[in-house]
Amino acid sequence: MSIEVKHLVKTFDDRKVIDDVSFKVEDGETLAIVGFSGSGKSTILKLICGLLTKDSGEIITSDGDIAMVFQYSALFDSLNVADNIAFALRERKELRNKYTEKEIRRIVSEKLELVGLKGIERKFPSELSGGMQKRVSFARAIVTEPNTILYDEPTAGLDPISSTLIEDYIVRLKEETHAASIVVTHQMSTITRTANRVIMLYNGKVVFEGTPEEMLKQDNEYTRQFVTASLEGPMQMLAEN
Amino acid sequence: MGSFQKYYRQSATYKICLGLLEGLEKSLSTFGDIVINGFGVIKCLFKGEISWKEFIEQCNRFGITSLPITLSIVGMTSVIVASQVALEMVKQGGGNFVGLLLTMLIVREVGVIMSGFAIISMIGSSLASEIATMRVTEQIDAIEVLKVSPIKYLFVPRVMAGLVMMPPVVAVASVVGVLAGAVTSNLASGLSYRAFFDSMWLGVYMKDLGVCMLKAATFGAVIALISCSCGYAASGGAKGVGEATTKAVVWSFVAIVILDMIFAIAFFF
Repeated sequence: MSIEVKHLVKTFDDRKVIDDVSFKVEDGETLAIVGFSGSGKSTILKLICGLLTKDSGEIITSDGDIAMVFQYSALFDSLNVADNIAFALRERKELRNKYTEKEIRRIVSEKLELVGLKGIERKFPSELSGGMQKRVSFARAIVTEPNTILYDEPTAGLDPISSTLIEDYIVRLKEETHAASIVVTHQMSTITRTANRVIMLYNGKVVFEGTPEEMLKQDNEYTRQFVTASLEGPMQMLAEN
Repeated sequence: MGSFQKYYRQSATYKICLGLLEGLEKSLSTFGDIVINGFGVIKCLFKGEISWKEFIEQCNRFGITSLPITLSIVGMTSVIVASQVALEMVKQGGGNFVGLLLTMLIVREVGVIMSGFAIISMIGSSLASEIATMRVTEQIDAIEVLKVSPIKYLFVPRVMAGLVMMPPVVAVASVVGVLAGAVTSNLASGLSYRAFFDSMWLGVYMKDLGVCMLKAATFGAVIALISCSCGYAASGGAKGVGEATTKAVVWSFVAIVILDMIFAIAFFF
């Protein structure tokens, strides 16, 4: 077991954004979390990686690093690509003592090669396309050899071909690192191409749990509405969404 | 009773009081953030946690980038004062004290406070907007997820750079201010350079220079700490960045004036 979430609850301004959510993700498995905008998907990721504190419930993770790929990449715009990827290796005391500068440069080069971007070490984030920025953020996330990788809408805002490329890298990183992965997404292609299992959130609760194939069968009224993008169904957009 | 409450809540007095209380709450919260972050910086310094590469970059920013504007402001302030005071003092027979007056003014007050204002408007605002942008674009979240302390990476190098670089900036600005005062006095009243520089040391002591440097270091650290704290607490998008920058500038101005008053009372009262 790499991540286990039990009865998680999170409230913002008296509104339960996460309401008694539980799930497990094993090593080498990818779980997709889907749902409306504002249904609490990204909040779950932030709770798991410690950016937010939970109101109640349990989040159990195995020892080791948790990496996160942010929706808009969140690369440090004052640092070049190499310095972005090497950031944790240089700034974390235990890693700084572990690697020499030469080793850090080698690791950076390896990670860039893994995401298909060899030779762009000296470029700055502003010189890269959205898809390239996303891949650099993948490289930065896996530099500490994490055993859990969280992806916050990794294909949002990308063209279909770039999305396919990113989805391939998500699968490739899972195979290379054998990490437990959670992908928050709206895109059906990302769900079907990367996930082993899917959970769907509505009003902070899990309304569906199954495989992507089961989701596409549309046996569940929530997934049917989501897959067909219908306005008719049990899920009604809240005014603030 | 219910209708009275309803009426009262719609009244201007209630709304003004509510606004004032909200403002007070926000101010206390900002002050609390600054104090907590200040303790965080001290803790990191005791543990020897500092990002040296970032520190050197910030020293360059504080020391070199700010120099032209700081020198201009202090120099011009000195010209403004000298051009109004020198001729009058010479006329009244006090020409021998023009150098003393201007030097004392620059070393004790003008050099450090005007440099402080220049640093706030140029460096403080840019620190606040930079960190606020990092906050709203999730770069600070990324730092935290990578298990690096934002206090160590963002605050410590900037506060240290302010502490270390502000005294030399003020020293250079003060020298420029005194020279500008001497030239202006000479042009405005015909006062000789010798008379100006001879009187310079009559009332300026080592204590004044020491207090000036101590004040400069304190101002530098406080400006950096307030600017970083305001940027760090930013939320929302572009509006949040703008609000954080404004808050940083206003708080820094108020803080250095209060600190200046405390220094004046403590050392010269």
